[in-house]
Amino acid sequence: MSQEGKLTLDKRLALVSFTKDPRPFITVETELCKECEKKPCLYICPAGVYTWQDQLNYNTEGCLETGACLVVCHKIGAKAIHWKYPAGGKGVSFRQG
Amino acid sequence: MSGEGFEVAVVGAGPAGSAAAITLARQGVQVLLVERGSFPGSKNVFGGRIYTYALKRLLGDAWKDAPVERFIRKEGITFMSNDSAFTLEYEVKDPEQSFSAVRAKFDKWLAEQAEKAGAQVITDSLVDDLIVENGQVKGIIAGEDKIPTDAVIACDGTTTGLARKAGLVKMLEPQQISIGMKDVIEISPGTIEERFGVDQGEGAAHVFAGSCTDGLRGGGFLYTNKDSIALGLVVGGDDVSIQAKPSHSLLDRLRAHPKVQRLIKGGKNREYNAHMIPEAGPRMLTRPFTGGMLVAGDAAGHLLNNGYTFRGVDMAMIAGMAAATTILDAKKTKDYSAGNLQSYETRLRKDPALKDMYTFSKVPSYLRNRRLYGVYPEIVCSAAEAVYRVDGTGKKKIYKEMRAQTKGKVSTLTLVRDLLAGARTF
Repeated sequence: MSQEGKLTLDKRLALVSFTKDPRPFITVETELCKECEKKPCLYICPAGVYTWQDQLNYNTEGCLETGACLVVCHKIGAKAIHWKYPAGGKGVSFRQG
Repeated sequence: MSGEGFEVAVVGAGPAGSAAAITLARQGVQVLLVERGSFPGSKNVFGGRIYTYALKRLLGDAWKDAPVERFIRKEGITFMSNDSAFTLEYEVKDPEQSFSAVRAKFDKWLAEQAEKAGAQVITDSLVDDLIVENGQVKGIIAGEDKIPTDAVIACDGTTTGLARKAGLVKMLEPQQISIGMKDVIEISPGTIEERFGVDQGEGAAHVFAGSCTDGLRGGGFLYTNKDSIALGLVVGGDDVSIQAKPSHSLLDRLRAHPKVQRLIKGGKNREYNAHMIPEAGPRMLTRPFTGGMLVAGDAAGHLLNNGYTFRGVDMAMIAGMAAATTILDAKKTKDYSAGNLQSYETRLRKDPALKDMYTFSKVPSYLRNRRLYGVYPEIVCSAAEAVYRVDGTGKKKIYKEMRAQTKGKVSTLTLVRDLLAGARTF
């Protein structure tokens, strides 16, 4: 029965339809993140946009546009994330929301 | 995008926006309904259920054309430990009172009703800013396009850029939000009906509390669609951040539970999606209006999670209608000032459906009690295990067994206090 349980985030995101926005709609002042103690973005994001390896890395290509990273970054984190929506028609497109 | 001749711009073609646009367009108001997604619903995610009354109020008999997945016959709640589950189930008298839905279909259909009523619907357009003159909102700005209007209704979702630009909302606090995510799992209609014990066209709604959130504020949910199961989990924004547990790892915990495994067995994943929920409710805004603008739906915290029912789409539609009615009133005198639009808030508070948000306004703080997600579900399961287990070692009477199960986990005083607080809150 463990088969159904195994579903990685990568496999999940591969099922989601995206239209890339060439303009960076999320930017992070990663220098500030080095001083960030809690690093809440690593945990809140359901798409794993933010990862840590020596420094904060982020990949907006899988962004599901919840906006939650911005809330936790500004209230618990280092106020490093700048976030706005992708341009009209760009970004994630849910078929099963 | 032509900027000419629109009296009202509605930003966001979700349930609040489309309900507002329908209500206005029916009265002959020139309405522009602007959506940033490539189609209405493409950015929208929810658990899975809509309460029918709101749709009936908006559309009358025409609600029957809505893209319903399944009418909800069975309401269930499961308290779970890692390897056991205690479930309560209720079969409702009238399944038509609510239905499961998929937003990509439902929101698209509702926006089509707005279009039919005479609203102009534009997709692929992100509204970046507001036109503001002398502190009064006078239209919207989308890229290069400036569209002057008499009034704006902002239904732009939880992140509501427009309410923030108008100074109605500060940055949300992490404890005021939850993050929800779900897997949509393909299962044949016949299998769904068999597994959940429902008739054709009927379905189940289920919530899960306990081990799935690993002690964090939140819970799991399951809704049956026509040929899929929506299995998801909601967790508090503060809890998940501070406890350093990746939010999606909790969805894995839910999925891996033996009870859930049996329900989704053999299913094929169709999509994964997520949404931020403004748990704070209407309190997230200092007020839902300013000169020339009203805010409705998620953007204004028009939702209710009281722990056992989760409402958003119905309240969004009712709030959208209330916003439109307020604009129609203001139109009589052509006075869209804040003073004249404040009747919107009274309308919201007096509406029989929306007043539930205010009745249950203390629920979010009650639900911040961690015992609800950790020790209590665990006690329920271990007590049930003790009650039902027969292994020849001798049994205690039920009351004694219950007392034994709570011992060392929670004091009697705490238990009584939580129960009394619960009675006052719900």
